[in-house]
Amino acid sequence: MKLLLATTALAAALLAGGCATSVNTVSRAQPTATPDYVADQRVITDSTLARKVAIVSVNQSTVSNNLLKIQVTLENRSSKPQAFTYKFDWIAQDGMELSGPTGGWKQVQLQGREVRAVSAIAPTPAAADFRLKLREN
Amino acid sequence: MKLALATTAAAAALLFTGCATKNDARYVDSQGPQTIVSLDRINIQDWNNAADRLVASLLASGVLERAPEQPAVMAVSRIRNNTQQQVDTDSLTKKIRVALNQTGKVVTTTTLGPDGRVEDQMAADVGAMQAFMAGEKQKTVLPYYTLSGKLLEDRVRSGNTQQVTYTFQLSLTTTRNGLAVWEDEQLITKQGQRSSVGW
Repeated sequence: MKLLLATTALAAALLAGGCATSVNTVSRAQPTATPDYVADQRVITDSTLARKVAIVSVNQSTVSNNLLKIQVTLENRSSKPQAFTYKFDWIAQDGMELSGPTGGWKQVQLQGREVRAVSAIAPTPAAADFRLKLREN
Repeated sequence: MKLALATTAAAAALLFTGCATKNDARYVDSQGPQTIVSLDRINIQDWNNAADRLVASLLASGVLERAPEQPAVMAVSRIRNNTQQQVDTDSLTKKIRVALNQTGKVVTTTTLGPDGRVEDQMAADVGAMQAFMAGEKQKTVLPYYTLSGKLLEDRVRSGNTQQVTYTFQLSLTTTRNGLAVWEDEQLITKQGQRSSVGW
């Protein structure tokens, strides 16, 4: 009877968590890239999501001479794949929010322990600031 | 008395919570996460994502700044639809045009089109008439770039699970020498057993 129980428990454990795999990575020991990091402020309203997906860094650059590009590096803290949606908002110098035809929520899936960046380019040269929203699926 | 109270309470509860069913029509954000995902067609979020990634790729490439005159003049050429469904390719190209126009990097001509199909015939006619009235030859601003592309579809099934991949390919060609100075493709893959709401 005990053997049966143990086998069942083991099978259940395998079913529940056995498929999770995480990502191994390798990179240059001394990175040569010099990102322009942005000092950020974070508002957490979903602590569960914040525990699963961490914001590692935020950096910026300019593309096409005058368009702000923002890149946010995210890390899946669990060993299971996590799918969530994100959206960039753009704000002009006067504080007004800017809209574009291709904005909106986008999905991203991170494998277990994966680090990946999501980025966006401002819809107009008028964009001075940004806001990234993250939402669990 | 108790029965009447209970009935009233039940009716009130129904009024407050029970009347709305899931099938009621409602507005949702066109760019939000509540849009329907279907496996048998390209959804609005697919057009949106493909256009967004392609515009970002084009802007980041830096080729638009190479045009001798700014903003660069672009014409939309043929976008071939090799998918199984009938789609209006403007669903992709219009978003790209609007996004590029907003950046101030590109203006699109609407009086030149593939196979002589002009998008804005009236603008072409009025331009010709103005030139005629002024006794001049019509001056048409020729595009420095043309945008062409192709839509592809790949379907595969494993058991009850279907997978569809839509490929959005675009090329930006310099009209002066016919060279494609920027090319990219974006893939959008959807998997499931049936359509659903969400991402």
